[in-house]
Amino acid sequence: MVPLHFSHFQSLLLFALIISLAFGTLGRRKPIERVKYAAWSFAMFLLVGIALGWFMYPFSR
Amino acid sequence: MFEENPANPDASEAVRESRAEEPAGTGVAPDSEMPAASEGEATPENLDNESPSAARAVAVALSGWLLPGLGHALLKMWGRALAIFLTVGFLVYLGAGMRGNVFEPGGEDAFARLGYIADAGTGSFYLLARALEVSGPDVSHADGDYGTRFLATAGVLNLLAALHAYEAARGRKA
Repeated sequence: MVPLHFSHFQSLLLFALIISLAFGTLGRRKPIERVKYAAWSFAMFLLVGIALGWFMYPFSR
Repeated sequence: MFEENPANPDASEAVRESRAEEPAGTGVAPDSEMPAASEGEATPENLDNESPSAARAVAVALSGWLLPGLGHALLKMWGRALAIFLTVGFLVYLGAGMRGNVFEPGGEDAFARLGYIADAGTGSFYLLARALEVSGPDVSHADGDYGTRFLATAGVLNLLAALHAYEAARGRKA
């Protein structure tokens, strides 16, 4: 298998996208609600991930 | 939405009546207000041709754990079954491709043991991850570290899906 290489941000994007789709599918029944929940979850993953990254930035050096 | 049970019309009538008596906010809406399940999916409400039994629900959950999505497929929840299969499969593929750590049983510390429990949550896909990762793990780079998390997340997500299938098989709102 060819090793896969992603940047930190690409990894965050992939993780957020896959998990949000799963949460939307499992957590809601109406298709429109699934889309809304997945989009909300995806946005929160990105927002919280980036916010935590900046929060930890001063301690990284 | 509601289909007559040809084997037992009395049971179908009883179910119809019990639905009509269901007070608002208890989880089961009248047929006219029921959200249309996507892709013709079965829902816990239209699985009532069979009485929910604990043994059947446990079998469904175990199936879902062994092969991601199988539990929901047995309940005819095709959309969810496909989503779980693809999600867990893709996470395992990415995790193994990024050379994440696939923990083995009998780990030396709590982290390794917990990691094994999470990885084993993928069921048969655990063996797939082991087979895909021919070069072994490499957690000296960020890729491998993220891969370890992807694999663990796949396992935990599959356990969550198996629990969801169990609840649906018991006839609870899921």
